[in-house]
Amino acid sequence: MSDHGGHTLDDPLGLGPLPGADGAFPPDEAFPPEEEEVGEEPFAPAGPQADAEGRGRAESDKLDQYLLRRYHLHGDRKAREQLITMYMPLVRSLARRYAARGEHFDDLVQVGAIGLIKAIDRFDLDRGVELTTYATPNIVGEIKRYFRDKGWSVRVPRGLQELNIRLNKVIDELVPQLRRSPTIKELAEAANATPEEVLEALETSQAYNSVSLQSTMNGENEDEAMLMDYLGDEDEEFEVVEDRAALAPGFQKLPPRERRILHLRFFEGLTQSQIAERIGISQMHVSRLIRRSLERLREEIGDIERPSPPGGDGRGPDDGDHRDDEGTT
Amino acid sequence: MAEHVALEVPATPDALGVVRMVLGGLGAQLDFSLEQLDDLFLASERLLRAALAAESPDRLQLDAEVDGPCLRVTVGPFFSAGLRERVACSRGRCLDLCTLLRGTLDEVAVEPRGEGFAVVMVKRAGSGGR
Repeated sequence: MSDHGGHTLDDPLGLGPLPGADGAFPPDEAFPPEEEEVGEEPFAPAGPQADAEGRGRAESDKLDQYLLRRYHLHGDRKAREQLITMYMPLVRSLARRYAARGEHFDDLVQVGAIGLIKAIDRFDLDRGVELTTYATPNIVGEIKRYFRDKGWSVRVPRGLQELNIRLNKVIDELVPQLRRSPTIKELAEAANATPEEVLEALETSQAYNSVSLQSTMNGENEDEAMLMDYLGDEDEEFEVVEDRAALAPGFQKLPPRERRILHLRFFEGLTQSQIAERIGISQMHVSRLIRRSLERLREEIGDIERPSPPGGDGRGPDDGDHRDDEGTT
Repeated sequence: MAEHVALEVPATPDALGVVRMVLGGLGAQLDFSLEQLDDLFLASERLLRAALAAESPDRLQLDAEVDGPCLRVTVGPFFSAGLRERVACSRGRCLDLCTLLRGTLDEVAVEPRGEGFAVVMVKRAGSGGR
């Protein structure tokens, strides 16, 4: 923490004086409860004051400076927490740019948040830059480092990595054009590659995604973030789906959207494309979510449905083993 | 004459990549959509993983045949009664192996093979993303 004892402290919120000679802090009520963050594009710090009172950029900057001073000069952890909360929309906005590369959006948000915290902790009050300006390269740097270090769990040639990324874009373009899932030949033509190269690149995406498949998910937080990004129109059947899904212990552990996707795919018989259209996400994203939720269910069921004792029901040694069953709905 | 590929791979999860590549190549010949291939991959992966868990075999045998607009994939032999039941019977209101295979393939069947059985999976070109 740096010593800025000679500064005149601004108080843009009228929260009262910062601890000075008299050592008095404003009361806790000076920091009202945080409200739900809304509006991620374009980025604006999500603060209750900024939202509620429609403050402009200049006032937001004043608030940043105020909170940064409280944290850096006086060690006020609440001010630090409030800055983190205010700038999480920036993190999400930046993470979204990289979300199409196969990593879970929520993982990227978490990594980006580390970059934000580092930026807040290392911010130099004397440099006279805005926190946004300083934090953005920190957040992006942290996300890029994550991709560099962990994105590919198996070493994949750069050419295939690039083709894979290109294919993701091509698929996103072709699906609405064709109004169906493209064939390998169509993908090859559009990506200027051979069908064999396309298959090989798609196979590399298995390596690319394997980290995500294994990663821990944060339940509600993850779903909240994803829903904010991708939720489409309301579906009146959703309540019914929810009721059915609630019967299943394995399903209950999944975020609502993933429960809904599995239900639509395997019990309503919708194709991935139809689900994608209904929910408002890409078919590839539906595919990834199905695999991820099946993998998660398999892990959950492994705990819930333990194998029967060998020969316990007279059917044979493995008959009670439902380790690969996916869940109940 | 129908194209036929016989494949025998070590019974490890790593071998699934080889299976995907072979099935992908044949599916591409049939102009399968990406979504159809994804379904086929998901079905074969889940079946093979279930087989690995149920029987711990050393090798996995797979025959893939292009028959008109269909890709017919036969996997086995397997010998586990539990695996057979899980492939053939759904427990109802349950996203089990049977439901998953039926949801992703056009046909699933269990056929006798020697003293055991084989699982036959059929995916048809132009059948949508089923």
